[in-house]
Parts: sequence; structure tokens; C-alpha cells
Amino acid sequence: MATVSLRNLTKAYGKTRVLHGLNLEIGDGEFVVFVGPSGCGKSTTLRMIAGLEEVSGGEISIGGQVVNHLEPKDRDIAMVFQNYAIYPHMTVRKNIGFGLRRAKMPKADKEKRIEEVGAMLSMTEYLDRKPAQLSGGQRQRVAIGRAMVRDPAVFLFDEPLSNLDAQLRSQMRLEIKKLHQRVNTTIIFVTHDQVEAMTMADRIVIMKDGHIQQVGTPAEVFHKPANIFVAQFIGAPSMNLLEGRAKGQGVEVAGRKIARATGVAEGAAVTVGIRPDDLLVTEEAGSFEGRITVLEPLGSETLAYVDIGGQEVVARADGRNPPALGAVVQLSVAPENLHLFGADGKAIR
Amino acid sequence: MAVYRNLSIRQKQVVWAWGFLALPIVFYCVIRFYPTLNAIILSFQSWNLLGPREWVGFDNYVKLWHDPVFWKAFRNTFVYLILGTPISLVLSFLIAYQLDKTRLLHGTLRALYFLPFLTSTVAMAWVWRWFYQPVPIGLFNNFLASMGFAQVDFLNSTTNALPSILLPAIWAGLGFQIIIFMAGLRAIPTSYYEAARIDGVSSWTIMSEITLPLLKPTIVFLVVFSSIGFLRIFDQVFNMTTNNPGGPLDSTKPLVLMIYQTAFSSFDMGYAAAQTVVLFGILLVVSLVQLRVLKEKP
Repeated sequence: MATVSLRNLTKAYGKTRVLHGLNLEIGDGEFVVFVGPSGCGKSTTLRMIAGLEEVSGGEISIGGQVVNHLEPKDRDIAMVFQNYAIYPHMTVRKNIGFGLRRAKMPKADKEKRIEEVGAMLSMTEYLDRKPAQLSGGQRQRVAIGRAMVRDPAVFLFDEPLSNLDAQLRSQMRLEIKKLHQRVNTTIIFVTHDQVEAMTMADRIVIMKDGHIQQVGTPAEVFHKPANIFVAQFIGAPSMNLLEGRAKGQGVEVAGRKIARATGVAEGAAVTVGIRPDDLLVTEEAGSFEGRITVLEPLGSETLAYVDIGGQEVVARADGRNPPALGAVVQLSVAPENLHLFGADGKAIR
Repeated sequence: MAVYRNLSIRQKQVVWAWGFLALPIVFYCVIRFYPTLNAIILSFQSWNLLGPREWVGFDNYVKLWHDPVFWKAFRNTFVYLILGTPISLVLSFLIAYQLDKTRLLHGTLRALYFLPFLTSTVAMAWVWRWFYQPVPIGLFNNFLASMGFAQVDFLNSTTNALPSILLPAIWAGLGFQIIIFMAGLRAIPTSYYEAARIDGVSSWTIMSEITLPLLKPTIVFLVVFSSIGFLRIFDQVFNMTTNNPGGPLDSTKPLVLMIYQTAFSSFDMGYAAAQTVVLFGILLVVSLVQLRVLKEKP
């Protein structure tokens, strides 16, 4: 177990800078998820922590020791790859044991350790099979087993679930989370899937274009997004964004005035963000009025796409008695559920 | 037309498939199978190319069994195979392995290694033959002499001639094997090596337990391909020893050259056919054994 810290970490390929000075402290035993669209630098960061990519500038330390110039094997880490990287010509037992090759322990102890890990991942009966005879989820477990067997200070996961189908993915998500609770090792997990980030992380690091956008618990990044990018990236369906202007003690959007102090200059452009979950289709007079263009029934609720003054928003309606397509409806939102963003995209608190 | 229209989709596919296959099938029957069968029949006959073919039973095979030149050629052929295949494979693997890691001038180096494969064997054989000449003509002997060493009889010695011919043969095939090995190396996912780096195993372990086992299909292909090539060696030998083909004293003569001489110098077609059938048998057995041994499921 160990802490990991990144100080002013940068990465450049020739003249192209892909990471622009990352600063992050990861606590001992913490489960941190790096999330962001492809090309945001999350995998590069992970590979730099692993030692598979050179550090261009700044510092990485693991357990208080600067590891910039250490070989991957000397960093006391283990990594699970997106394509699992398990060897097709070796049995599960040999694959898991591969991580122990360098360990100085008697053969019997190694065998015992492999058996233990196999049991922990409920793979005991598959230990003598080849990867080709396993399902996708089982292969994933072998990859995790190979990482676990060495008992490293930090686990690194590079999009390990993206090759699995939806059902298996949610199952493995749960298993990895349980595993973390049991072994309590520091985990750094990279994904592009915000659901994975929300469900698994102690803290989420949201990245875009080589910059950290926000670091926080799942609740923080969901309820208090630091900027428009985070607000739109986290949560599904995506947050509604409406263009408005500061007016008096509130914001004017689509001809209606919404009450909430902004603190910005009168007449300045303000973006109003409303999560579809917070925007309700109601009978009584609400904040907005519009016509329903599309309905998406989801069972317990129905998503209504409503056109309000030329801008389309997604709102939540009752699942049992959904409104009719084409109906003109009222939409209401509680003032505390409004997210306001300034012209620079940053949240106005 | 009406008949065709009434066929099911499956039947139409079959009609088209056989339509396209017809040409290669005809080609194979006329150019491959007919001569093969004819050669087998001919091996039980006596024929001088002009006169009538006469049945002689197993005479040709009996003669072969008692012919010391055949056994010499038989032995030589296997020396070409047993030295040529492993040496060329090890060399080409080592070069491909290093070349795969080289970024500087990668394309140029690869082209240089591939160039001999594109060159005419005859031209190459004659250039090498010139290299091997005694002082003051030959490149190698001039070099040796200038360093103060004794000359070496490359092509005129019964012990040196075969290796001297084998060397350019290996060199000529290297480019092709390197390209195939590099394709095999490229097909191994880099994450396998990254995982091994994180596990901290030695580069020897990576080579012997990851790279080589995963290259097995490539190696099987190259072993079989290169073995067939060395068992059929002819043009290098013929061109480097033209004044006495297969010499000195048959020390470089492979089976194919012996067949050629029997057929087109002695015009003993039946006897040549018998030798051909034996070579065919050897090629078949060697290939099958290699496939069986190397292709065992991992």
C-alpha cells in the first residue's frame, strides 16, 4: 500500500504537449478513477505512473519515493491491460505465476500463493486451462489475478472493462470494487465511461486535453461540477444547457426569469445547466413552457424532449401517466438545482 | 437460362464457384498431376527421349540402390538441408529481432536485406564464384593474402566446396525469412512485453517464453519452406561449378543436379524419373514429419 503523487507532471511527444502540468495526491488505499474522452491524456498518465512512458517534466512519487527514473519492475506496481495481455500459450496457473518469476520465495510458496489468488477470484477449477478456453470475464479475472499475485503497492487498471459486454461489465465493476474493499490497495483506474467512474471511485479525476478539470468524490463532481465540461460529461442523459443573461437578481432564459443570484454584471451571458432529473414535467405553471417533440419511455419514468423557445431540453415525466407527444407542457425546476456557468465556462457559486 | 434461373441461391453459388475453379483445376491437372503421374510411370521404364519406352520393372530403383553417386548426392542434399535450414533460420531471426527494434534507417536496412532475394540466382552465383577465385582474381583470397594468411581453396576442395556454395544460398534466402519473421514479431501485441516489463522478468525469459512460443506458426512455415528450398537446391551449385557440375568429385552434387545430368546429359530418362520419385518421397516425408513435430498444439 502506498500513496501516489503527481507534481507538475508534463508529457510531450516532440513538440506536441499532451499533459500540461498535472498535480494530484492519491491517498493510501484510495480508489481513484481517471475519466475523460479519448485523447485526454488519462492513459498516458497511467502509463507514466507504470513506467512504460518517460516523464517529460515534473515528478511522480510512489510511497514517498520519486520514481521518475525507476524501471517498471522496481516501482512495486501491477497493471491490468485493456486487452488483458495474458499469454495464450500458457495455462491460467502459469499466467498468474508469471508475475512471481522474479520473487525470491520457495516454489511451494509460489504455488500456494497462486492457489490463493485463484480461490479469491473463484478461478480454482480453471487454473489448468488455456486462455482460449475461457470466457471474456474469466480472462479478465486472470489478468487481475496476475496483478494481485505479487501483492503490489499500487494497482493500475487501463480501461480493463471496455472489451466486455454490458452485463459482464457491470458484474466485473462490482467484483473489482469488492476486491478493493478486501485487499484495500491503492487503485488507479482509467476509463472513458463515466458510469464506471461514478460507481467505483472514491475520487474521480476528470481530464480533458491534458488538463485536470476537476477532482472530487462522485457526489461532488455530480452535484457541484466545476465547469461546463464536467457538468456535461458526468451524468446520463447529459445536463441541459440553456443560454441566458443576468438580469436583476436572477437570469433570463427563453423569455422567462429564473430566480437565483448570479453575482455577475447585469446583462452578462450566463449558461444555465439543469440535469434532466431535476427538470420535471408538471401540470401547474412552471419555469418554462414548451412542446414535446420526442418521448423516451424508460419504465419507471419517461424522458421528454421539449422545445422551449428554439432550445431543446430533456425533462423527466411520470412513467405511468406520460404526457402526450406534441402536447404543450410546463417544466419546473427548483432554484437550488440550477447550475450557473459564466462566459468562461466556470461554475458560478 | 431457364434452368439456371430455377436453381436455388446455394446451387447458383456452387455453379459460379466451380466456374471460377475450373481454370486452375485444368492447369493443375495438365501442368502438375499429369507430369507427376507420368514420371512415376516412367521410373519403371527405360527411355532415351527418342526411342520407344520399354518396361523394365524395378531395374531403375535397383540401379539407384547400387549407385555410389546417388548415395553421395543423397548425403550432400541432406548436408545442405541440415546446415542450411537451422543456420538461415537462426540468422534471419536474430536480424529480424534487432531490425524490429531499430528505428534509424529501418526501411533502408530492410530493403538491403531483401535485395538478394530479388536478384537472379545465376548472377549471384557467378559473382560469388568470382569472390572465391585464387589470387590475384578472387576477393576473399586477395584479402587473406594481403593479411599474410595462406590462400583457401574454396571451390576446388572436396571439403570446402559445399559450405562455400551453401553460404550464398543462405544469404540469398535471408531477406525473405527476415520479412516473414518481422511480420510475425509485429503480430505480437506490445502489451505482452509491457506486462512482462512490469513483472520484471529477464529479457531471456521474455524471448524464450513469450516471443518464441508466439512465433511458432511463423517458425513452422519457415522451417518447411526453407527445408524444401534446400532439398531442391540446384542453380547455385550448377552455376558455381559449371566446368564440372557438382564437383569436385561430386562433393557438392545435390539430387536435383544428379537428376538433371542423368536426364539431359546421359538421356537416361527412366533412371532420372526414378531419382525424381525418390526426391519426391524425401520432400514429402520431411515436410510431413516437420509439420507433425512442430505443429503440435501448444
